[in-house]
Amino acid sequence: MPDQISNGMRCNEFELLLTDAIDGVLTGVGLDRFQAHARICRTCGPLFAEAEAGRNWLKGLTEVEPPASLVTNILASTTGVDTQRLRATAGSLQPRISWWERVQATLFGSVLEPVWAAVRQPRFAMSFGMAFFALSVGLTVAGVKPADLREVSLRPAAIRHSYYNTQARVVRYYENIRIVYEVQARLREVKRNLAPAEPGLKQSRPAKPKDDKNDTTQQPEQKQERNYSQIDDHLILASAPLGPSPSVDDLPVVSVTTYRRFV
Amino acid sequence: MEDVQVVAMLVRRCIAGDSAAWEEIVQTYSRRIYNICYRFAGSGDDAQDLTQEVFIKMYRTLPSYDHTKGAFVTWVTTITRNLLVDHFRKGKQDRMTDSMDTSASDHEDAQPLSEQIPDQSAPPDAHVRSREVGETVHAALAKLSPELREAVILRDLQDMDYRDIATVLKVPEGTVKSRINRGRAELARLLQRTYRQVM
Repeated sequence: MPDQISNGMRCNEFELLLTDAIDGVLTGVGLDRFQAHARICRTCGPLFAEAEAGRNWLKGLTEVEPPASLVTNILASTTGVDTQRLRATAGSLQPRISWWERVQATLFGSVLEPVWAAVRQPRFAMSFGMAFFALSVGLTVAGVKPADLREVSLRPAAIRHSYYNTQARVVRYYENIRIVYEVQARLREVKRNLAPAEPGLKQSRPAKPKDDKNDTTQQPEQKQERNYSQIDDHLILASAPLGPSPSVDDLPVVSVTTYRRFV
Repeated sequence: MEDVQVVAMLVRRCIAGDSAAWEEIVQTYSRRIYNICYRFAGSGDDAQDLTQEVFIKMYRTLPSYDHTKGAFVTWVTTITRNLLVDHFRKGKQDRMTDSMDTSASDHEDAQPLSEQIPDQSAPPDAHVRSREVGETVHAALAKLSPELREAVILRDLQDMDYRDIATVLKVPEGTVKSRINRGRAELARLLQRTYRQVM
């Protein structure tokens, strides 16, 4: 703005008085000088008119109504997040809080609240419902009834007994699987074929002269039987009595029952 | 406008953890802050976000308020203004905003406000006409430079006195008056050009 002097007033002075004139606080001689300058000055006159018009436009603006959720959102974004921080900042102005209230605030604020927030999700409820449904259907198919649970004993001895029973049942089931049995039998067979001699058999035999060390025909039958029976998986052989060869009819009928051990 | 002692007590209660006191502060000042943000930012969504940010910042810095240094409403307005300036700088809106410092020839090339408002040829009634005028003035206000805009908003829309505006804007009182005058005059020129084109 050029600093011209019109009617005893500079343009800079006019601008300083402009707000007072528009606000209506400029009175008396000051107002007269101001108005005279506005009439004469080509710069300040239009400025006064524009500033007054601009003010009238702005005064015509009405206050905007904020959204209904604004206060709720503000409270949620402030007290919902930073309450503990503000309390910590407050320091000594904070009222005394008992230890029990602190435990509750810690427990519910930092531990249970996130869990509860996750549980409240509809997705979690659907998953829980599906899991419950699947479990109930499975138990029904398996024949488990809620009434059976009443008879379950929870004494330590009964629990231990149930544990060993279950373990034995599982081991028995495992041992009786055909493929397990076959693999074990093959392994025993391979081990037997690979072993050159049985060390237990060599030690039990008495020392013999060199000429008849391989001749076992003269050894008594009882001893052979005993030797065979030392090995678990050998069959127990029935023996005929010694003496002159009897006829077929004189031979006694022997029935042998073998018990196989699978271990 | 505000009883200093009552507000000071409210702030003390709030610092002590009284959520009801904080809710009272929010209820009292949210409308005012929202209007400042709306007039400065230009859109309702931005105003809502900015108002929330103002209250979050206020909540964090509430213990730093000293009632002996000034009124609470001035403190709140200062926070709002600082956040709006930050928002403006982040958005780099100053490149798109006309300034009073530019020459008159620049304004001749500026996009007329009539292109930003709906057709005003046949307003059905006075209410619609008034609403459209309000939108036109609001659009013109958004075209002012931030310095002029904040000055006229605080003075003509929030009715703050010059001294408080000077405190908020951190400039001398004379500068405040000068900005207000230039802002009003610039607004009037923009609106005159708009209505001249519409008519």
